[in-house]
Amino acid sequence: MVWFEIRKVFSRTSGKTALAVMAAVLAVTCWLAVSHIDYVEEDGDIVTGIRAVRMLRRDKEKWEGYVTEDVLRSVIRENAAINASDEARSENVKEQNKAYAQKQGFNDIRDMINRAFCSFQEYYYYRVDSVTEEEVGELYGQRVERLREWLYSEEVYDHYTEEERAFLIERYETLETPFYYADSDGWQAVLYYAQTIVMIGMIVCGFLVSSIFSGEFQTKADAVFFSSRYGRSRATAAKVKAGYLTVTALYWIMVLPYSAIVLAVTGTGGGNCAIQTSFEFGKSFYHITFFELWLLTVFGGYIGWLFILTLTMLVSALTRSSVLAVMVPFIILFLPSFVDGFSALSDMLGLWPDQLLNISLAVRLFNLYRVGGHVAGALPVVFTMYVCLYLVLPPALYLAYRRMK
Amino acid sequence: MEIKLTDLTKKYGDFTAVDSIDMTMREGVYGLLGVNGAGKTTLMRMLCTLLKPTSGSITCGGRDIFAMDASYRDLLGYLPQDFGFYPDFTVRDYLLYIAAIKGLRPAAAVKRAEKLIDRVGLSKAADKKMKKLSGGMKRRAGIAQAMLNDPKILILDEPTAGLDPNERIRFRNLLSELAQERMVLLSTHIVSDVEYIANEIWLMQEGRIVQCGMPEQVIASMPERVWICRTDRDHASKLMRRYKTSNVKTDAQGVELRLLASERPTEDAQPVPASLEDVFLYYFGEKAGDENGMV
Repeated sequence: MVWFEIRKVFSRTSGKTALAVMAAVLAVTCWLAVSHIDYVEEDGDIVTGIRAVRMLRRDKEKWEGYVTEDVLRSVIRENAAINASDEARSENVKEQNKAYAQKQGFNDIRDMINRAFCSFQEYYYYRVDSVTEEEVGELYGQRVERLREWLYSEEVYDHYTEEERAFLIERYETLETPFYYADSDGWQAVLYYAQTIVMIGMIVCGFLVSSIFSGEFQTKADAVFFSSRYGRSRATAAKVKAGYLTVTALYWIMVLPYSAIVLAVTGTGGGNCAIQTSFEFGKSFYHITFFELWLLTVFGGYIGWLFILTLTMLVSALTRSSVLAVMVPFIILFLPSFVDGFSALSDMLGLWPDQLLNISLAVRLFNLYRVGGHVAGALPVVFTMYVCLYLVLPPALYLAYRRMK
Repeated sequence: MEIKLTDLTKKYGDFTAVDSIDMTMREGVYGLLGVNGAGKTTLMRMLCTLLKPTSGSITCGGRDIFAMDASYRDLLGYLPQDFGFYPDFTVRDYLLYIAAIKGLRPAAAVKRAEKLIDRVGLSKAADKKMKKLSGGMKRRAGIAQAMLNDPKILILDEPTAGLDPNERIRFRNLLSELAQERMVLLSTHIVSDVEYIANEIWLMQEGRIVQCGMPEQVIASMPERVWICRTDRDHASKLMRRYKTSNVKTDAQGVELRLLASERPTEDAQPVPASLEDVFLYYFGEKAGDENGMV
């Protein structure tokens, strides 16, 4: 029965079209992720793609290891030396590129210094140029100090309670230092486009699963279905299982090859580095590595797909309309953009299911919640909440559909 | 086995679709005749557990069919009026799927599907997609799915609607073969569909069974007689306004009318035996003619 239900989904022209769209999205996203990395060659020319990945990896490998005070001082010295070169002082962009080409190997560490020595909400690219070798040793302390300044600033003082401020500071203070640095561009490239593939894939998959339940009514096959022996029991359960299998298979068929292809091209190095070593996640208070963030991203996306698409199927079953059902993923994805201006809803939006599809964003946000008297970041709350909510949906879907008249 | 309808009523708001029906069915073919909107489909959907009655009950062998749930549906074969299917499935796949939800084991399902495909004359179309079939072929696929579980109770709602005369005759013959040793309820507004194969006729009007019995009994129940008379066109118009007219035949010599009347409508009118069509006209009157040109 499950096999027949899956065949119903994919035998339609819309099903085949959706599969073709998913394959195209996978191919384009892989290409975008790989070409996302660029490299400036010694002569100032910019290259992208596989060549850029290899060259950048070669440069960054020299800086692999713990980012100790000595390493930080070396960066300050090298940076200053390059800044003093004729290329760096030139007005010519190409000459400046040549200077930049020499900084690419330690550019990530350079960014760490910039962030630590700017105020919390600012980033000044040339801040490192004015940091002395003596000052730079305070980098890890500065990170915590900048956070503390920001938390007690007028800007956000009312937004956090004292307990929440203490929680965030504690998270910063207990982050293991010195950071271990390695080239993590491959993981960052995967993470950068993961949300694209997860979100577009979910919308396309929404078109497929939206008809699993309403299709019986649209094709007027419901009378035969429900008057059959197992119409209100096993056949309904088969629909729920077919929905689950379709969602699960398509998700992993999209996400795993995407990750494998991008990592195969860009490299898997740096997976064990804290995400705070990158520009993108430098301020995050979550103590996780790039590999762990990837795991959170793919499993978060999976839970998000399961929850949102099972909700889509529930709407399909209750309304008997694929059109209404297929709107569910759109509403969940785009509603936050419309209500973003309402500050009263900001806490709720931090728990909106779209967060699961965009874990890379969620780990950068300072959304905090009180759970059982304890302060917690949004991620564990969102994961726990939607796993629990998801577990309720399939039985609800089964019960709702088997009672259809 | 006996299906018993007791004070069976179905209301939609203020509208009563099925009104206090008390009937009993055993083995045999039951022809449910009535105009569109008489409540036939509602009654059949209740018999198929697709609708719950507002009041009253349906029992099978003394047990409520809704309480019997799957065990009752295991006895059931249903061809709905709006027979829907999965357009991208082939006939064979469609039957195998329905066999699965009817609880047939895969090996038995394959055998049964092949047997029925052959029996309904769809062997050459077995690998065609359902959406590519003609109306008649779809109906034959419909009767095949209804027969998959070898049902003891076969419910067919307007099975010949939309079919051309050849297909209707073919379908009727097929039904005669399949109807043996089971209880068949066949709803239609086309009298000829049931005239020769039904053991019992139920006439349904505004949610009620207004007449029932063997075809001869139903015909005998009509208080008016049937007359054939010849007249000119002007007089024919007057007679048609005055009496229920079941047939009009015009030729060069004038008009031959088949009229329902208690007394001889014209001096030269000759009494003829009544048919089921005459009864249908008598009970459903002008409404039958308005909504159904195929009576």
